Amino acid sequence: MALVPLNYNLRSLIQRRTSTFLTALALGATVATVAGVLALQQGFETLFTKSGRDDVVVFLRKGAASEGESAFTRDDTRYLVNSITEIAKDASGKPIAAVESFLALRRRKMDGGETNVPVRGVSPMSFDLMGDRLKITSGRTFQPSSDEVIIGAKLAGRIQNTLVGDTIVFNMTPFKVVGIFENDGPAGSEVWGDVERIIEALDRPLFNRVIAKLADSSPDALAAFNARMQADVQSPCEVKTEAEYLAGLTGMLSGLLQFVGSILGSVMGIAAVFTATNTMLSAIASRTHEIGILLATGFRPIPIFLSFMFESLVLGVFGGAIGCLLVLPVNGIETGTSNFATFTEVAFAFKITPQVLTSAVIFSLVLGLLAGAWPAWKAAMMKPTEALRRS
Amino acid sequence: MVPFRVIWRNLFGHPVRSLLTAASLVVAMFLLCVLRSLVVTLDAGVTEARTDRLVVQSAASLFVTLPENYRGKVAAVEGVKHVCSWTWFGAYYQRRENFFAQFSTDQDTLLAMYPEMEIVAGDYERFRLNRNSCIVGEALVKSYGFKLGDKVPLIGTFIQRLDGQPWEFEVAAVYRSKAGTLDSGTLFFHHEFLKKAREEKLCTGEEGVNTYVVKVADGNDPITVASRIDSLFENGPQKVQTTTEAEFNAQFVSMIGNIPFFLSAIGSGVLFAIVMAVVNTMLMASREQTRAVGILKALGFTSTTVFLVFLLQAITLSLLGGGTGVALALATSDALRDALGTTFPNYVVSHDTVVVGLIVTVVVGLIAGLVPALKLAKLNPVNALRAEQ
Repeated sequence: MALVPLNYNLRSLIQRRTSTFLTALALGATVATVAGVLALQQGFETLFTKSGRDDVVVFLRKGAASEGESAFTRDDTRYLVNSITEIAKDASGKPIAAVESFLALRRRKMDGGETNVPVRGVSPMSFDLMGDRLKITSGRTFQPSSDEVIIGAKLAGRIQNTLVGDTIVFNMTPFKVVGIFENDGPAGSEVWGDVERIIEALDRPLFNRVIAKLADSSPDALAAFNARMQADVQSPCEVKTEAEYLAGLTGMLSGLLQFVGSILGSVMGIAAVFTATNTMLSAIASRTHEIGILLATGFRPIPIFLSFMFESLVLGVFGGAIGCLLVLPVNGIETGTSNFATFTEVAFAFKITPQVLTSAVIFSLVLGLLAGAWPAWKAAMMKPTEALRRS
Repeated sequence: MVPFRVIWRNLFGHPVRSLLTAASLVVAMFLLCVLRSLVVTLDAGVTEARTDRLVVQSAASLFVTLPENYRGKVAAVEGVKHVCSWTWFGAYYQRRENFFAQFSTDQDTLLAMYPEMEIVAGDYERFRLNRNSCIVGEALVKSYGFKLGDKVPLIGTFIQRLDGQPWEFEVAAVYRSKAGTLDSGTLFFHHEFLKKAREEKLCTGEEGVNTYVVKVADGNDPITVASRIDSLFENGPQKVQTTTEAEFNAQFVSMIGNIPFFLSAIGSGVLFAIVMAVVNTMLMASREQTRAVGILKALGFTSTTVFLVFLLQAITLSLLGGGTGVALALATSDALRDALGTTFPNYVVSHDTVVVGLIVTVVVGLIAGLVPALKLAKLNPVNALRAEQ
């Protein structure tokens, strides 16, 4: 079965370049919009999932899904840190566990407006648990038990009074900003200070979570440990790995963005398919005579069908390429949104991953194929005698 | 005189193409109207905010509670008519995904504070007098099927009963909100109930309330009243920040991130795609109608008429599709609100949106028709007649 030379279709696309270009632009705009939403979702998800560790566990009060919902008294935290034998010990025999407080504080942004900034009170052990994931990039870290704080690099300069040397006031207590730190996870947009000083300044004698390293952090041991802690009489807890905990926080926004992306994709996709169908119909209508010649010279309907499907697919390729080019400039643009689980602002960037580009191109190819099917079918079903009679 | 029949006939000279183009326009304009309505709905809490309501919150954070005794102190401030507390409860119904807003509030002042609250079933008095009862928004009735007299079990997150049981509130009344300032997907219950549970150490969670909403008495300047309240607590124990209802609601809108930016970016993507589509169609049409233009000109029609014929053809096509899209958005307004459940309980396609949608539709037609119409108008009739059909 002889195939129609691909050159025939490529030349036709060039011949009708205005129409080809306009259609590819329409497809491209559709693809770029959907890819933009996906890039946002990727940026948000990477921030949370890549930064979570599997060997660090988070203790929250039973029934709480986030730190904002969880609360421990001082007695609870003493009990958790000192009496839970599953927690690993460091060289000096101290449990590797840190008590932390967490509160969203209202702050003014530099460019106007207010936002909720997460302020974390941490213990010395918090830094050990973070390890080299947290780097002080300017200034120094805060002195224990002092009214000093360090600021996540993503906040510094975006929120008022967040540069080294500034004074930031929590409730009535002034804290001195002594350093800026970098972290790839959500901590990168947090303020860190001494937990005791922070809860005193906020007049809020409650702790929100305990993080720790377990002696045995295998999934089985963790599952058994979680079951035991859920039923603990003194202080019932939820125990999750940090990776699980952070992934849980993103679920809602991530899901929402995927939902928006797929709705947009299907709705805008319909419009784009109609546009490309129009272009293909017109391309075939103006070549009716040529199709007649093809049929008369012995080309079978299937090769003719495939030939026009190929032409439409190339339109899809152009659309995909334009879409990728249109969406590339958003890569790395920083934006902020609320983490709905804790009602605090998180800064993150649009991230054009290979995955986003692949989905964009596939999406565009599918649009091209859908648009080509009916016109190509029409072309393949033409009667040679009738087709030849058309000028 | 413009020959309108020619416009009509040209439009359907190629029915499949016109239909497909119109269908793309239906989809695009429907999407644009829905997007705009979502933004308008989000902003309704700000744009429809009342100037005679103020919100008192902790100056440090919305998550730091204010003492109970502030209620009386605020009520005694000159120019304050009513005070009504709001405290976030954050529980869920059966499963975590069934998440909706619940607040404990002051049953004696809630209805007086919010005239936009319209009772559609049950009896507000019954809610007011029964400490274990609640009043629920219409959207909750639609989403979860709550009925009058039902005991709604809620599982606490940060406010948990120490006996491990769910909280229970009996539905005494159902309300509908007539303005964007009050959400139709909220459950309200007595703050006294929560306060008592805390005093008796039956549950976790901090004492106090999140916000006090203040109704300013007639003839008082809200800004003056706000600064009176702020100065009252200048020296603690909790400093407060009193804002207008509009400012208070605006912080929630800005919290979600730069929504106007995202949605306008998506909107421009949709618009760009649809303009390209219609331009493409009109260019194809102009090529085919070249001979017809030659005939019109040979019959003595002026270039202006030819220009108008083609431009009106583009605008008519645009209006046929776009207008249907706008009408579809309007017609599905209620259905979409119900489908969105408690996420956008106040979703509505406003008349403004309809007008904006129609204007955009006409502009799309103008843009698409302009260049080909100019080209056709300038044609020499002899050359035009010679064009291939």
